[in-house]
Amino acid sequence: MPQPSSQPRISRRDLLRGKGKTSKLVFRPETGPGGDVLIAIFLRGAMDGLHTVPPLGDDHYARQRPTLAIPEPGKAKAALDLDGYFGLHPDLDPLLELWQERRLAVVHAIGSPDTTLSHFEAMQTMERGVSDGNTTASGWLSRHLASLAVENTSPVRALAFGDVLPKSLQGSLSATAVRSLKEFRLGIPKDWDAGFRGLLTSLYEEGQDPASRAGRNILELLESLEKLDPDTYQPERSAKYPETEFGRGLRQVAQFVKADVGLEVASVDLGGWDAHVAQVALMTGLMTQLSQGLHALYTDLGDRMRRVTVLAMTEFGRRVHENSGLGTDHGRASAMFVLGGGVRGGKVYGRWPGVAPAQLDKDGNLRVTTDYRDILSEVVTKRLRNPHADRVFPDYTPRPLSLFEPVT
Amino acid sequence: MRLNRSEFLTLTAGTAGALALSGCTEITRRASAPGLPERLGEAEAAEHSHEWRLLNRMSFGPRPGDLERVREMGADAYIEEQLAPERIEESRAAWMRLLPLDTLEMDAADAQDWEMANYPEVGKGQAAVELQQACVLRSVYSTRQLQEVMVEFWTDHFNVSQLKAECSWLKTVDDRLLRKHALGKFRDLVNASAHSPAMLFYLDNDKNEKRDPKTGSGANENYARELLELHTLGVDGDYSLKDIQEVARCFTGWTYKKGFTFWPGDFVFDAKKHDDGPKRVLGVPIPPGQGVKDGEQVIDIVCEHPSTARFVARKLCRRFVADQAPEALVARLAGVFTKTDGDIRQVLSVLFRSEEFRHAGNRKLKRPFDFAVSALRGVNADTTGAGVLPYLERMGQLPYKWTMPDGYPERVDAWTPSLLSRWNFALDLVTDKIPGTRVNAPALAKATGEKEPLEVYRALSRSLLGQALPPDRLRSLVDLSQKGGREVRQCLALLLATPAFQWR
Repeated sequence: MPQPSSQPRISRRDLLRGKGKTSKLVFRPETGPGGDVLIAIFLRGAMDGLHTVPPLGDDHYARQRPTLAIPEPGKAKAALDLDGYFGLHPDLDPLLELWQERRLAVVHAIGSPDTTLSHFEAMQTMERGVSDGNTTASGWLSRHLASLAVENTSPVRALAFGDVLPKSLQGSLSATAVRSLKEFRLGIPKDWDAGFRGLLTSLYEEGQDPASRAGRNILELLESLEKLDPDTYQPERSAKYPETEFGRGLRQVAQFVKADVGLEVASVDLGGWDAHVAQVALMTGLMTQLSQGLHALYTDLGDRMRRVTVLAMTEFGRRVHENSGLGTDHGRASAMFVLGGGVRGGKVYGRWPGVAPAQLDKDGNLRVTTDYRDILSEVVTKRLRNPHADRVFPDYTPRPLSLFEPVT
Repeated sequence: MRLNRSEFLTLTAGTAGALALSGCTEITRRASAPGLPERLGEAEAAEHSHEWRLLNRMSFGPRPGDLERVREMGADAYIEEQLAPERIEESRAAWMRLLPLDTLEMDAADAQDWEMANYPEVGKGQAAVELQQACVLRSVYSTRQLQEVMVEFWTDHFNVSQLKAECSWLKTVDDRLLRKHALGKFRDLVNASAHSPAMLFYLDNDKNEKRDPKTGSGANENYARELLELHTLGVDGDYSLKDIQEVARCFTGWTYKKGFTFWPGDFVFDAKKHDDGPKRVLGVPIPPGQGVKDGEQVIDIVCEHPSTARFVARKLCRRFVADQAPEALVARLAGVFTKTDGDIRQVLSVLFRSEEFRHAGNRKLKRPFDFAVSALRGVNADTTGAGVLPYLERMGQLPYKWTMPDGYPERVDAWTPSLLSRWNFALDLVTDKIPGTRVNAPALAKATGEKEPLEVYRALSRSLLGQALPPDRLRSLVDLSQKGGREVRQCLALLLATPAFQWR
């Protein structure tokens, strides 16, 4: 049958190259595997970015925070200098090494469009990756996993450490809430014949259907997964994780990363930052956990850190003014910590809006100058190798800060 | 019997009586367990047998003996039978097992009170668990299988998550509406769902009010959007953002009674919150001053829209035929839908008899719920349903827990990660590790009427997979050490874990 003239003949070679009008018909993997493992840490309760990363160079900072301001370097309990303008709270001391090695960056005055200043609504907005959390959208990590065309049927493709899936992973069937990695076992009764497993494996050997393919993959991964024992795990280079749920979570993530069992996304929470009263006492323990945890992860993973990106974000920041209870109330912008092999670190990103009274918003809050999705979408594109950031953040046009090197 | 709240609380206070009652129920439940056929696994279904496909798609998988029964009565008679659930006698096994569940027929407020009276320490959730349990029990034991399959279909279509606060109790009422209209007219379903407090709360229509001219706040378009996108026209259904906004205006004031009113939980139209101005939906003018009729007119407009016929037809094809819906069949079914005023029964009648359905092949992956229920049915398990729920959660498909309005996905790739949990379910099921759930493996083996292990396995394999495993695999099974009846359980576990059992 002659070809219609409007459709020139296309050779098989052209098809393979994706040429011609029929390129839709050609199977083109949208991305290969090999994006980073993403560890998304949510600092629940609204972490004070002015406390963790104080703007020492802003003249109004000490005036606005008469009792809570972190002193300048040289004084007692002083901040550690980051770049001559911003400092780091001394309780975050373990992070300084990561900063100096240019693996850690901070984005300051970052936040979401949420103005309700309700923890629940703001977390929902951020975890769903939208402008208004009051919708029924799926989580941003779910959309990332769904839009990335890799055939990863690993049962540990996306893990959330805790009892329930966070909103960021809701709507994803690739994601599992996990308390312990011991949950990934095949429960063959001990008194059954050893041949049972071999027989199961043989039934999955040949089929070309998706279930058979997934089964083969899982059986292969199981051999590695079953060797993982959180009780006997020895972190490398004497890394010491905090003995807390957060620390144990990170430790297990490190185990999964090393075992190379198909982990793409891990979610870990560190909550309790809601410092309405006695902020100093409350934040000390949390900052210690956060910094020791990240330091341990960084040390333990060593060279593997090259293909790991860690984000530590919070739903919003705190009011610039102190309240009468030596604490702070809900505010707008905060800071985000970004760690990883692909991070252009050792730098504070974002435009500083200032804390002088005239520079604050009408409620006395630090203004948001960087939308959280500017960072998230850059991670998705450059580090997770997902070309569909527009599907992950459908109602937003990001302005990337060029904070990451692309995966090479 | 319908009790009001105080009567009910008085009744349930008699714990001793309740205990005695549950003891009785236990005995009756066991006595009501379905029996086994005379000769299990005798018939072999050819790979593309119509009967096997019907049983796997019109029901939650064949029970022992079902294939033989459908062969005898013929495919047409089976389709006719299942399309008329009101004429099928419900199995004792199903209703005896549902008896201990107290909240199924309650309204939301009563269920909430019941929960506080009986589970003060848990506080919340037991009524929701009872509905999940009922879902498992009906799917496993009901003789009205197509009815249950369609209830599941509409549960996804009009998804309401129990996880959203009051939906924990409201979903129980919502479920009754879907059950009532599952094989009826589509418009009745949409209408029931639009009035359902569970849906009104889940998609925030209870917050949808006339726009305040000063602040501009008030309208909530959540329900309006999903009504068009997910319930009727479909995302490509040819409507605009303006249509969504106008539909939202039509539904302003559609809410339900809350708090300390006489019958909390009932639908109510709040005229004060209704936007009574003129509107235009999908090109149809809506005159001002109609009040609650605005919303009703919208339901008419969207249910009669050609996009809706195609959208529902395509979704039914995806569920029953293939992930890639055959477009010719979609068009035919959409025609039937339009001609019969959205009569689901007539649409399905054409679907199950279509050539496309006959030649669909094993191209539909069982979702975890379907997998678990078909396994329970296939090995004739005795279950109270409750113990199965944590497994469904692990596999990713606990009923009524999907948080987004689009319902549990239907696509193959969404479900392949659940395989490890499926295998563990199969292993725990056949070794009686699931609480309240027993498998009589020796009885199954005996029912095959065979003596030689190889022949027993061959028959069990036919019964569960429609055909026998390859001879070398069967022989390997025989080679596994044979310790006191365990080998039959190993055989059952293996058959349920096999790739073939994941497809329907």
